[in-house]
This record gives sequence, structure tokens and C-alpha cells, in this order.
Amino acid sequence: MIELKGVRKVYPSHDGHPPVVALGGVDLTIQTQEFVCLLGPSGCGKTTLLKAIMGLLFLDAGEVRIDGRTVSGPGADRAMVFQNFALLPWADVMTNVAFGLDLRGVSRAERERKAREWIRAVGLEGFERHYPRQLSGGMQQRVGLARALAVDPRILLMDEPFGAVDAQTRRLLQEDLLALLEQSRKTVFFVTHSMEEAVLLGDRVVLMTPRPSRIREEIEVRLPRPRPPDVEKDPQFIELKEYLWQQLRAMQISTAGHDG
Amino acid sequence: MAGGDQEAARQSVRAKIMSLERGRGNDPSRLLKWSLRLGSFAALALSWELLARVANSLLVPTFTETLAALVRLLMTSRLWGALWISNQAMALGFGLAAVTGVAVGFLMGRWRAAERFLEPYLSILLVMPMSAVIPIIIMATGLGLASRVMVVFSFAFATIAINTRAGVRMIEPSWIEMTRAFGATERQLWLAILLRGASPAVLMGLRLGLIRAVSGMITMELLLIAVGVGRLILHFQGNLEAAEMYAIVIVVIAEAVLLTQICQRFEVSRFTKYSDRQRYSRAASWADQAVAE
Repeated sequence: MIELKGVRKVYPSHDGHPPVVALGGVDLTIQTQEFVCLLGPSGCGKTTLLKAIMGLLFLDAGEVRIDGRTVSGPGADRAMVFQNFALLPWADVMTNVAFGLDLRGVSRAERERKAREWIRAVGLEGFERHYPRQLSGGMQQRVGLARALAVDPRILLMDEPFGAVDAQTRRLLQEDLLALLEQSRKTVFFVTHSMEEAVLLGDRVVLMTPRPSRIREEIEVRLPRPRPPDVEKDPQFIELKEYLWQQLRAMQISTAGHDG
Repeated sequence: MAGGDQEAARQSVRAKIMSLERGRGNDPSRLLKWSLRLGSFAALALSWELLARVANSLLVPTFTETLAALVRLLMTSRLWGALWISNQAMALGFGLAAVTGVAVGFLMGRWRAAERFLEPYLSILLVMPMSAVIPIIIMATGLGLASRVMVVFSFAFATIAINTRAGVRMIEPSWIEMTRAFGATERQLWLAILLRGASPAVLMGLRLGLIRAVSGMITMELLLIAVGVGRLILHFQGNLEAAEMYAIVIVVIAEAVLLTQICQRFEVSRFTKYSDRQRYSRAASWADQAVAE
């Protein structure tokens, strides 16, 4: 279980810009093996919140607890998937996927075995010796996903992972992610700015507002799992998506004035 | 995304990419390339020979005279002794510049404070006409090896530092974040990301710095401290032994070319594996479709 209590992060003033309150006291609880989607307009601190859970941030107030223990840095229980993939261009697919295992001191034979396994699981068998630039965006994010899953985390943190790929590829990646999670359940915290994606993937959608960045609302998604192929035609899916859009639109309009 | 069809599709993609890769080895245009290069060299040598014969001057040796002088010189200890003396200063000065230049480049690339502190001097060092500084260095350190090492150092240092800094800055913040997210120690971060990520630019900086070091060595030997190769050039110039002088200059050029070629080979062999190769782009997009289907 992940618990956030009054998490506050202020980026100090920089080059004449005023300080930015990236997180203005966030309270949120994520149950074990729950899939929570964080939805909000851009610039509302979604990525900052993800980094706080990852333990990459120094918080100004509040705390993040995982199973009762306060997070003070990155840990073996968590792994992250990045929006821009964050693959190492000088390393081939095999080395990229095995990178996290390598940092954690896993022996070469063992990490190659595990990496091979996950490369196959994400559908990239045969591309082990290819370099990231030889792969398309969708394939690169499959590498990013395999790298995160290879360290066998209990918690998967995903930062708009499918935001940089085209619509068809995104849909395939979403389906494959759900299928992979059916096989090994994990706690997932998934940041997105897509309403469809949030409803399609999540057990719960958390809406976040900008300025001050807070949790505005938490909505249960009561769609069956595994999601049926025609889930987008489900009245509840449509209704929920519509509701989220209304909320997001209201937020965008109310903040448009502040953005100037 | 499962099934035998897909496996077949992947196999064919791999075959396609591998055939693209193989295409590079036995390229028929290789022969053409080398014959053009040889042809260009032959044309240069021939026109040199003809022009020198037409000029018919004691001060302009022909190509064949220069070649003969070169062979004579290569068999004496005079040339090798001079090269040894010159390259002592070169190697020491360049080694010093490499170590400090890379260190300063990393410092400036990683820490804003170091950047603010050092940036003005580095900028000045880069644009300053070096020949003007040589007298200062000689006045400060005398006419010995130390001052020659210092001159070579000051020729090469800024180039190496600036390229290293550029390399460090090209490291994507997301690589660092990703590495930290896996719980890497500071040491792991340096080894796996910072040193590795900056190394293409560092190697390029070292290569360019080496060129600067060679020119520093010769400039100083010609201008102020007549030792080594520079002294030999001045000696033959004074004696109007034109062919010998030309031959020495050719030796210096050959050394510079050889050194940079070695560096370049090293860079290429290490880093072309992931460099952007256009010919992959079509195969890669095709491959993605196969996976998507």
C-alpha cells in the first residue's frame, strides 16, 4: 500500500522566476495491486508526484509511505517507465533491458536470462542485438517496459509512457500492458493526460488540479477485468470519459487566466 | 501479438536488416574510391615535379629530390633523434592537457559553480593567439623541457576541456534520472552514464587537442626554442638544403595525419554501432509494422 500524506514540493525561484508550488499538499492512498491512473492538465505536478513516490525528490513537507515505511530514496520494490523511454543509445536492447539488474549486482548469466525472458514477453524477440535508434517509438517503449519489469518490482510507476507514440501503437501497448499485468499483478501508478487511457486501464482514476496542485477527486472504474475488447462501447466507459472531460475542461478554463 | 505468422515476419525483418548490414563489406565502390585517392596523389606529385622543373630554382626541390632526401634522412639518427626530442614535450604536454582538460570539462559540465568560476578563462584561452603567449611561458619557465611542455599544454588544453564539457551537457537528464530510479550509487552513475555518455565528445576533444598539441610543438620550436624537429627545419633552411627541409615538413605532416587517423579509427570502431544510420530507418519502421500486426 502506498500512502501519501500532505506531500508538498516547492521548486525554488530560478533566474527571476517566482517559486513554483509543484505539489501543494497531496493526500492519496493506493492499495496493493491496484491500478491507479492520475489524470490532470499539463503542468499540474503529475510527474513530480511520481518522482516523490519513486524517492527521487526531497519533499518540503509530508511523507510517502510504502507498506508503512517512509520512502527516503529509490528502492528495489519500485521501477519506473519514462515518457521519453530513457533508453541508453549506446547499448543494445539486451543491455538496456538488463540495465536495472546490472545496477543491482545480478550476475551476467542471470540478467541475460531474465532480460531474454522479458524481451520475449513484450514481443521483441529477435531484436536483442538492435540499438534503440533502429527501433520505432512503440518498440522503444516496449524496451523501457521490459527494463522496468525485469527487476521484478511490486510497484510500477509509469509517467505518460504511451504519450509519445501514435494512436494505433498506443492501443496495442495498452492491451499488452494489461495482459502482462494479468500474469503478474502489480501495484501500478500510471500518469496520463488521456481520459480514454485512464478509464481503459485504471481501477481508479485520480483527478489532479493545478495551482495549487492537489487531488480533486477520486473515481472508481467499475468495468470488468480483463477488459472486454469492446469496452469502449460500454455505457459506463462513455459516461465516465465524458465526466472526466467535463472536469478537465473546467480546470483548463479556470487556469487559462492564470497562465496568461 | 502472438503466433507463428509473427515469428515468420520477424525472421524476415531480421534477414532484411542483416542484408543491409552486409552490404557494407564487399562494396564494389571501394576499389573506385581507392583508385581515385591514388590518382589524386599521383596528380599532385606529378604537378609538383613539373612545376619545380619549370621553376628550376635551388629553393624549390622537385618531388623526386624531396623523396630522395626523405629516404636519406630516414636512415640517419639525426631525424629520429629530433623526433624523439620534439615528441617528448608533445607527449608530456598533451598527456597533462588530456588529464586536466577532461577533469575541468567534467567539473564545468556538472557543476554550475565551477562553470561560472572557470568559464571566462576557458573562453579567453580558446580565442587567444597562442604564439603571443609563448614568450611569457618561456620567461616564466626558461628554455628547458618544462617550458616546451607548458606550451604544448596550453595549445591543447582548452580544446579538450570545451569538448568534454559539451559531451557532459549532451547527457540526457532522463538517463541520469532512470539510473537513479534503479537505486544506482554515485559511482555507478558516473561509470554507467556520465563517463560513458560523454565519451564520444571526449574522444573527439582529445583528437582535436592532439592536432593542437602537434602545432604547438612545431610553432614553439620554430619561433623560440630551436630544438628537435623545429631546429632541423631551421638548420636546413639556413643551409638552403631545400629538399631536406621539405622532407622534414612532410615528416611532421605525416605524424599529425597518422596520430589523428589512429584517434579516428578508435572513435569509429567504438561508436559507429549506435550512430544514426539512415539506412536503418526504413527497415526499422517496416519492422514495427510487422510487430504491430
